[in-house]
Parts: sequence; structure tokens; C-alpha cells
Amino acid sequence: MPDAPLLELRGITKRFGDLVANDGVDLEVAQGEVHALLGENGAGKSTLMNVLYGLTSPDAGEIRFDGKPLRLRSPRDAIDAGIGMVHQHFMLIPVMTVTENIVLAAEPREGPLLDYGKAHDIVRDLSDRYGLAVRPDERIESIGVAQQQRVEILKALYRSARLLVLDEPTAVLTPQETSELFTVIRSLREQGTSIIFITHKLNEVLEIADRITVLRRGKVMATVATTGTDERRLAELMVGRSVQRVEKGAAQPGEPLLSVRDLVVHDSRGLEAVRGASFDVRAGEIVGLAGVDGNGQSELVEAITGLVKPAAGTVVADGHDIGGHGARASFEAGVGHIPEDRQRRGLVLDFTLAENLNLRNVRRRPISRFGILDPRAIAERARRLLGEYDVRGGGPGTRARALSGGNQQKVVIAREMSGTQRILVASQPTRGLDVGAIEFVHKRLLAVRELGAAILLVSFELDEILALSDRILVMYEGRIVAEHGSDVSESVLGLEMMGGGSAAAV
Amino acid sequence: MRDRATAWLTAKSPAVLLPVGTTLLAFVIGGLVVALTGHNPGSAYRAIFNGTGLNYLLPWTSSEDKDFAALNLQQTLIITTPLMLTALAVALPYRCGMFNIGGQGQYVAGIVAAIVVGSHGAGLSKPVHLTLALAAAALAGAAWGGIAGAMKATVGAHEVISTIMLNWIAIYGAQYLFELNGPLQGPLPDVPQSDEITSSAKLPAVWGVLQPLHAGIFLALAALVVYYVLINRTVFGYEVRAVGYNADAAGYGGIPVARSYVATLAIGGAFAGLAGACDVLGWEFHIVTNDIAVSQIGFIGIAVALLGRNSAIGIALAALLFGGLQVGTSARALDPTVFPPQLAGNLAVIIQGLIILFIGAQLLLVYAWRARRRRGAEPPPVPRVDPTAA
Amino acid sequence: MTALDRIPRGARGVAILGIVVGLVGLELALPPLQVQAAAVPVVLGLAAAACAIWALTREERKLGIWALLVAVVATAFAIWVQGKSDTSTSLVVNSGLFAATLVYATPLAYGALGGIFCERAGVVNIGLEGMMLTGAFFGIWGTVWSGHWAIGLVVAMLAGALVALVHAVFSIHLRADQIVTGTAINFLAVGVTGYAFIDIYGSNGTPPSIDSVPSITLPGIESIPGIGGVFGSLNLMIWVVFVLLVVTHLLLFRTPIGLRIRSVGEHPRAADTVGIPVYRIRYACVMLSGVLAALGGAYLSVGFVGSFGQNMTVGRGFIALAAVIFGKWRPYGAFGACLLFGFASGLADRLQSVAGVSPNLLATLPYVLTLIALVGLVGRSRPPAADGQPYVKG
Repeated sequence: MPDAPLLELRGITKRFGDLVANDGVDLEVAQGEVHALLGENGAGKSTLMNVLYGLTSPDAGEIRFDGKPLRLRSPRDAIDAGIGMVHQHFMLIPVMTVTENIVLAAEPREGPLLDYGKAHDIVRDLSDRYGLAVRPDERIESIGVAQQQRVEILKALYRSARLLVLDEPTAVLTPQETSELFTVIRSLREQGTSIIFITHKLNEVLEIADRITVLRRGKVMATVATTGTDERRLAELMVGRSVQRVEKGAAQPGEPLLSVRDLVVHDSRGLEAVRGASFDVRAGEIVGLAGVDGNGQSELVEAITGLVKPAAGTVVADGHDIGGHGARASFEAGVGHIPEDRQRRGLVLDFTLAENLNLRNVRRRPISRFGILDPRAIAERARRLLGEYDVRGGGPGTRARALSGGNQQKVVIAREMSGTQRILVASQPTRGLDVGAIEFVHKRLLAVRELGAAILLVSFELDEILALSDRILVMYEGRIVAEHGSDVSESVLGLEMMGGGSAAAV
Repeated sequence: MRDRATAWLTAKSPAVLLPVGTTLLAFVIGGLVVALTGHNPGSAYRAIFNGTGLNYLLPWTSSEDKDFAALNLQQTLIITTPLMLTALAVALPYRCGMFNIGGQGQYVAGIVAAIVVGSHGAGLSKPVHLTLALAAAALAGAAWGGIAGAMKATVGAHEVISTIMLNWIAIYGAQYLFELNGPLQGPLPDVPQSDEITSSAKLPAVWGVLQPLHAGIFLALAALVVYYVLINRTVFGYEVRAVGYNADAAGYGGIPVARSYVATLAIGGAFAGLAGACDVLGWEFHIVTNDIAVSQIGFIGIAVALLGRNSAIGIALAALLFGGLQVGTSARALDPTVFPPQLAGNLAVIIQGLIILFIGAQLLLVYAWRARRRRGAEPPPVPRVDPTAA
Repeated sequence: MTALDRIPRGARGVAILGIVVGLVGLELALPPLQVQAAAVPVVLGLAAAACAIWALTREERKLGIWALLVAVVATAFAIWVQGKSDTSTSLVVNSGLFAATLVYATPLAYGALGGIFCERAGVVNIGLEGMMLTGAFFGIWGTVWSGHWAIGLVVAMLAGALVALVHAVFSIHLRADQIVTGTAINFLAVGVTGYAFIDIYGSNGTPPSIDSVPSITLPGIESIPGIGGVFGSLNLMIWVVFVLLVVTHLLLFRTPIGLRIRSVGEHPRAADTVGIPVYRIRYACVMLSGVLAALGGAYLSVGFVGSFGQNMTVGRGFIALAAVIFGKWRPYGAFGACLLFGFASGLADRLQSVAGVSPNLLATLPYVLTLIALVGLVGRSRPPAADGQPYVKG
């Protein structure tokens, strides 16, 4: 490793109002180094990278690149300097082709026109040189996530990036796709490219990084070499205390509460997203549904919770047929639902907590009578639930927007589990939460299970699935391709999530 | 005492100060235009104010002037009436997250229905005939609005585009109905206008003689009350607001989103249809084909709703402002020796445009102001609609 | 990519063939050819329908439905024409009708091209109507003031750009609701042009004879029967719009600038992260849209009527907007819609004088067709993904 670092950040500070997102952050990345940036959600990783990419300007601090000070007013400056970024939410234009996305803003020309032939060749060459297979003429909207990620990397390489920032690149990948990505990262490192690898997954850090910088609450906790540290130490640095796994007792499953039979669901484009899924969730058990994003999980959940009408098949909840009868019928039959995106779907952010908590039973007495609301009953019920679920940061009259992510999720859970709900469909219930809030949600799910509820847990995080589930179903291309007990290994699941392994036989 | 006043102002300032400030700014710019074209803005505005008849309310107006002012004020209130209703046609869908540009078309649909029902059935008793005519207008407006709602609910067609199209279909369609040889042309073969409303379907006069203020104003005020109660006190209003703030979350919560779209646009359309009925049953009593495309009541309703921030009281005040502006700049009320009415009419339109423009931007100012006080949050999404208060 | 690659093949080609065959069937029945055998349009119509169905079954839904529509409508119209007496038909359907179609379509086409630039960059422009009206007035004003139509057009373009700048500042920087701002533009344009018109010209209106945009006569073409009556002598601004149409298409879909404009309208953040100046592109496109719409208005006043009247655009800006949607935000598609709407207007004029059909009824046609397009009967319209959404940097 050469001595002079390629990138030096000195004392980067960035404030949003009273919140200090980055507090005097120092970071050095050497030429040809894979440097992991480790931290919880909200630790300030994204802000730091936005500073580095010219998307936000820091309040204080200095950036040096290649030994020279670097002033970034826009992403253009970062690109010109040789910094490339693969955002967690891909910055690709769905209706355009792979080639168009790669050459955008640096197009080869033929007179005044765009030289599509040459652009095509450029993509081919890059793709061959770095072993990143893509189909240049496909539209982004018709290729998978892993391939989209390759397009993003090619985009940066086409702009001769010497430093590549990968923001949570494995969040959307299966274990096998992740290891392919790691192969690419290693080959980039060999060709001299430096990489900043942002993640909150400890095992990945240890596998791929040369050095690790841990961020907590906007501050650098430590920078350590990978050799000479371990998961426990990193976890303590990241969270600030030791983390225990949730303890759970053996399941005492009762009768099936949720029965799905031969369910077929179409997606918004009219294509079959769920192709004949059948399974049961019994009282007192958590069933985990594993799978790569986009294999029909969202549509399955929407069909169970009454948001879309299934094309075929039945959904029976606690003896009631609820397939295609709407969200209200589903809830009335006892199905609670923690939606995957709480800000977009779980809460009306501009409603008060009281209004949010009564979203499900606004038509019931005593909340309303003959179509007229009773403000006192609404506030009353809200106050009780807020206390019961330990929601902090506001009362019944506070707007939901003002709450932290963890407290917002508590409001959703309080609403969805407060009545006579015996079935819970939890989609990505801990996405974007910090460790404390994750623990709360996990404990709550287990508590509900102890009370005899049937829980369907959908998550892209295999850790979470493995930690909580009593049974695990694997979903691939709209079908349930495998079922396991809780003792299955991550690699077996990963293989099945890609349609391999025993899945072929089912 | 002083502290309480300040606190009240701080709490209410977005709702009160911004519309007032916006209006003043628009009038100042309008005054500049007047001055630049060689007229005295002070005397022009005074003449326009006197034209509105609002000087009737001033204690120092002499009794002689009062008689004339009363005539003008009756006209102002006659125009204020439909403006309140077409503003509600914008406000209710706005709370549901939609922008109803189609008030004009729904208003025209109401006119057509009110004429058809109001010019027939001469034998009916007044309460029955009037009710039927009003109901027909409300239904026609509701149907016209409901089409846009149904299109949004079923295939997601954007209501702004569909209501614009429906406006022009209504305007040309109504012209077709009442034109020469049109299917609903009135008794005079050479005059392109409709039948006359029979006396049993006319709204009763409540103030004045020549062209008196009619009872439609009570209908409009009642509609404002209905709107307020509907939005703030009922399950329906709660659901509409939930959909308006976040249709996804409302759907997850089991609220019938599609039905809210159809219902709010239909009810909004019914308000606009009633506006048409008020005009035709209250003082016009027939419609001349050429007037159909000239009428701007539905369009001005957009400005009224925006300036009134979709609140019932705000709409009432803004409707009075724009109704006054309309009458005060009209040829019959404005003294042409002070300021030519033809210019004044266009000045009124300029002022309306400026108010819409500034209100559109101030929605953001309010938001930025609130965002700064909220700490540490991510930059808030700019709302397409800002349904803050009613 | 060679020129050969651009010739549509397969189902697409067959659908286009179907449309052409259907139109040929109609053309044969119309003056001057006036083939009287009903079998001719029927056979050609069936052939067109066959092409349409072949295309439809091969996943070419959009053009297939078009071909089917053309087959049915053209055949029915051809048979109706054959049933009419020669004289009344040729009074309605002659080269004058197609010339009128172009005249009516031209202002719409300017507006629609403007609308396409604006919306492709992600800014909704329902202020097109106001921008056209502004161009109509200032075109006349500039022409009267300078005595030359060319200067009038320049003044119109500047005025259009200025009005568009207001829309741009409010919707891009101030992030006001673009629908609200567009509505305000429409009010302001009516008020400002009306006020200025009265203030400058009084109740007499604009001077009776002003310098007008010349027509371009093509000597070779003029004498060709049929075509000569349509294309032989056309206003310069009609020729210009043809050129602008092709240029717009090339610019948007074949050049780097076009790719960047579209990226800003689809996904401004993605564009920003590769260094495309989102705001600058949006400003440029909105102002260009104002310039084009103003030219459309100026065509009405300076190019066609030779005078200005208060609110003289009467909704043409909204028809242009409808054409943008109908043509799915593509120049050729939108131009096709403008021709269709222009044809309806031309037909309305003639049918009123010949057959007594209400022009008001036909005037609803563009709006009804657009509603149908919105419902998706003619293939779903998909606007640019970020259309109407303000972009917040950082």
C-alpha cells in the first residue's frame, strides 16, 4: 500500500438544525484500499458520503484528494476529480437503456448527434474489462437489481473513477450475488481503484475490507485494520454497548389462523407476480418469508391484507374468506399489517398521532357515531395506546412527522395490534431503525407470538428471518420454493432465493 | 394582553397574514400598472371601491349615496354567492389531494340543468319547482365532476387534465344546446338564447328592487357551513383528509381511496352546479349563448379557494373580495370619467392572476418556516396541496 | 446504426401499412378521384383491418389499435362520401379542407412542441394558453410598432420567454405548485394583454392593415392537382413548424442534449448525480416552451388573422396541451394529434356552411378524444416520471 492517501477528510462537520450529522469526521483512504464505513442507521454515513460527492456542502472541514485540496460544489466536481458513487437507491432512469444510463452526461458524439454505435462499444469494452456482464440495449426497468448495480458501477468506471463509494451495496443482494460483487471489488482493488464500502453488516466488513472506520452519532469511534478485530468489538464500537441476540422460547403452534391456497396475484403491470402460493401460519408461531426483493413478496402481502384483489386462490383469516374484499375486511377479520414503508404507507405524517392511531377504527363506536367523529374518544384512546406502547416524543396532538423513526414504528404497531387482531403481517418491520428500536420491535413481535398470534414476517435481512422465525419459507419468482425449520443455514437459503438448490425439486 | 395578542398572531399568521399580505402586494402591483399607464391609482381604486357598494357599510356615507351604494352592494353579493360555491368546488377536492380546475364546466352543467328544469313545469308549486331545479343543477354538476373523479379512480387519469377537457366540452356543448337551431334554443327563432325560467322556479328576492339580491346567498352560506362540518367533524371528512395527505397510507388503513376521489369531485361539482343554478334562477333567468364562454365564475373560484386557503371563513371573505372586484370594475358600477371600465376589468384579472401566483409560492414559505422550527428532520416534501385549515 | 435500422419492421411495419392502406381507400373515394364502387373502400378497409389484427396479436398494441380505428373510420367515411352527391361532397372535402387543416393545426403545433420541451424536462405547463395569448398580442404590437412582421415575431418570442420565465422562477426555484402557477399565468396573460390592448389601441382595435407573414409558393408543386392545392402556397410559419417538428424530434431523441433533457424529466436526482445542471436545463426548456407557444399565438394574430382581439386564443393552448398528451409527449405523435384537431376545425367550418352541422358540437371533438386517450383506450399515456415535481437539490 503506498504511503500518501488518495483521499483525506479532515474535521468534516455538518449540521441540520440542532442535529449534528457529522461531527469533526476524519477519514483516510489509501490508493487501492477497500475501506469500510461502518455504522448504524442515522450514524451519519450517508451525510458524509453526500459531502464527499458534492451533494451537500459541509459546515466545516477539508477534503484532500490526491494530496491536493478539493472543493466540491456539485457532483460534477466530484466526478471530474475521479470520485464515483453507487447510491443505495440506484440513480438509474428506468425507461432508458443500460447504454444510455452509462453514457449520460458524457456521451460520445458524432457531429451534433449522439453516437449510439460508439456508446454501445464503450459499454461492451468496459463490461468485458471488469467482468461486469450487462445487456447494453435492455431498459433498466426490465433488468434485475443485481444487474442494475453493475450498471451503476460501470457508470462510475466509465467516468474513470479512482475512488468508488458503494452505499449499502449488499442490501438488495442474495448471499451469492454478494460474493460475486466481492469478486468484482477485489479485481477493482487489484487494478488500483480505491473503494469506500458503506454498510452496517459486520460479517461483510470483515470479509472484504482492509481497514474499517466506525461512525456513531456523527463521530468517528475508531479506525481499525481488519486483521486484529472481530465482530464483537466492532458491534460494541458501532452501538456503544454490547448487543445480545433476542432470546426466544420454543414455539407452541396452535391451529392455523392464516391459510393461503393457490394464490395468484398480478402486479401493477398485469404480470403474474405471485404464481400459486399456498401456506399456513398457525397461532403462536412466526413464519419468516425470505426472498430477494421483487419476487412477489410485496404482492403476496398486499393480497393478504386486502390491498389488491387476487387473480385466483383463497386467503382465509381466522375462518373468514378475505381474498379481494378490501383492506377493511382484512383488518376486521383480524389481520394487522405493518407495511414495509411506514412513512409512505404506515402513517399519514401530517395527521396527529391521535388521528393516526384511529385510522383503522374511525368508523367504529365510540370513535364515531352515525358518521360524526367524537374528538374526546379519539384523544382518549390515543393517550392509552401511546402509554401502553411507550411512544416518546409527543402526545395525541403531535403530528406523526415530528417523531423519530422508531417511535413512528411503535405507533404503527400499536394501531395494528391494539384491537382483537390475532394475525400480523410484518413487512420489513425494522428497516431504517436503530439498534434500540430494532430490539423493541423484535421483542414486541415475540411477545405477540407468546400471546398466541400468528405472524408472517417478510424481510430481506436473512439475519432477522433466522433470529425470529419458527419456520422459514423461501419465495422465488412468485412461488414458495422451499420450507425449513429455524435451523437452516444462510447459504442454503441464499441459494434457494436465487432458484437454485433444493428449490428446483419442489 | 399584548403577549396573548402576539401569540395569537404567531399561531395564526400563516392563515391570516399571508393571504392579506398577498392581496395587498397584488393590489400594489396593480396600482403600479395603473400609474404607469398614466392614471391615478388612488382615485382609480377609490372609484372601484365605491363601485363595489361596500361604502354602504361605512358610517360616513351620506344617505343619498347610500341608495346608490345599496344597488352596487346587491350586485357584489349576487356575484359573491356563486363564487363561494365554485370556490368550494375547488376546496373540497383540494383537501382530498386533487386540484379541480373543472369548476367552470361543472358550473355550466348546473346552468343547463337549472334552465331545463326551471323553464318547464310551470304548474308546480314554488317550493317543489325550486327544489327540483336546484337538485337538478347539483346533480348535473356532480355528474360532470364525478366523471373526472371516476377517471382518476379507475385508470388514474390526472384530474387537472381531465377537468380542463371537461370544461371545454361543457362550454362548447352548452353553446351547441342554445345556439340557433340548437336543441334547447328558446322561443325566439332569431335569438340564440335559452327559454325563460318560470316564476315558480325563481329564487326569492331578499334585498332590493331593480336586480335584487336573491336567496341564493343563504344557500351559499349554508354550503360553507356544510363544508366545514363535513371536513372537520365527520368520518367522511377524516377519510378525505387522510387521502389528501397520503393516499397510500389511507388505503393501507382501509379507507376507500377511489371512492373518496369520486365523492369529493362529485360533491365539489354539485357545489359548482348550485352556483350555476343560483345565477340562472336568481337573476339571469335565461342564458345567452355568447355569454357561456365569457363567464369566468368557475375559474375565479380557483383564485377564491386559494386565497381563502380552503377554509370556510377564508372562502367567504375572498369571495366577497373578488365579487366586489368584479362588480366594482364593471361598466355599470365604475365611473368612466375616473377610470375606464374596460381597463378596470382587465386590471381585476391581473390582480386575480397575481394573487394566485403569490399564493402558490407562499404555500412554500409557510412550509419552509415550519421546517426551520422543526429540528433535525430531513427536508420536508413540498406538498402539492397544503390542506392546513378549514 | 444505419438508416436501414430505422425502417420499422415486423408488427410495427404491418400496423403502419394497415393505416396507409385504410387511408388510401378513403383517398380513392374522395375528389378528385371519386371512385364510386363501394367494393374498393370495403376491400381496402378489410385489408387494413387484417393488418391491424395481425399487428395486435403480435404485441404491437398501440399502432394496431390505431390501424383498426383508421380502417373502420376511413371505410365508413368513404362509403358515406360515395353515397353523397358529387357536388356537396366536393364542397366539403377538397384540397381547401386539407389546407385549412394545416392552418388550424399550425398554432396548435407550435404550442404542442413548446409543451413537449417543458414537460420532457419535468415541468407541467398548463400556462401554454397564456403564453400563446401573450405571443398573439405582442406579435401584433411589435409588427405595428416596427412595421415589419419579422420584428413582431421577435417581440412575441421575447414576451413569451418572459412570461415563461415567471413560470420557471415560481415552479423551479420557489417550488410553487406548477398547476397553480400555470393557472396564474393564464389569468395574467388575459389581464395584461387585455389591459395593454385597450390602453394602446382603445376600442377601435389594432390597425386594419399590418405587415403580415408572407406565404411561400412552390412553383413546381403548385400545379400538381390535389397536392398543389394543399402545399402549393403556404404561410412561411407553416413551413417553419414542419422544420421545427423534425428538429425537435432529432434534438430530443438523437442528441446528447435531448438525452439530458429527458433524464431531467424522468429522474432529476439521477441527472444531478452525473453532473447535469437540472435547474439550468429546466429553465431553458420552460423558456423555450414560452418562445414556441408565443410563436403559435403570433401565427394566429400576425400570420393568419392580421389583428388581435381580447382572449383571441380561446382555449387553443389547452388543445395544444391535449395534443401533447394525446401524442404521448412525442413530437410526431403530438403533431399527428394537432392535424387531427385541425382537421376537425376545418371540417366544422365546412359542414356548417354545407350541411348545417353545428360547429360547436365539432369543437368538442379534441377534448372528447383526449378524454378517451386519458382513459387509455388508445394505449396508455405515460408522462415523464418527474413531470410536475419540483426538484430539491442536495
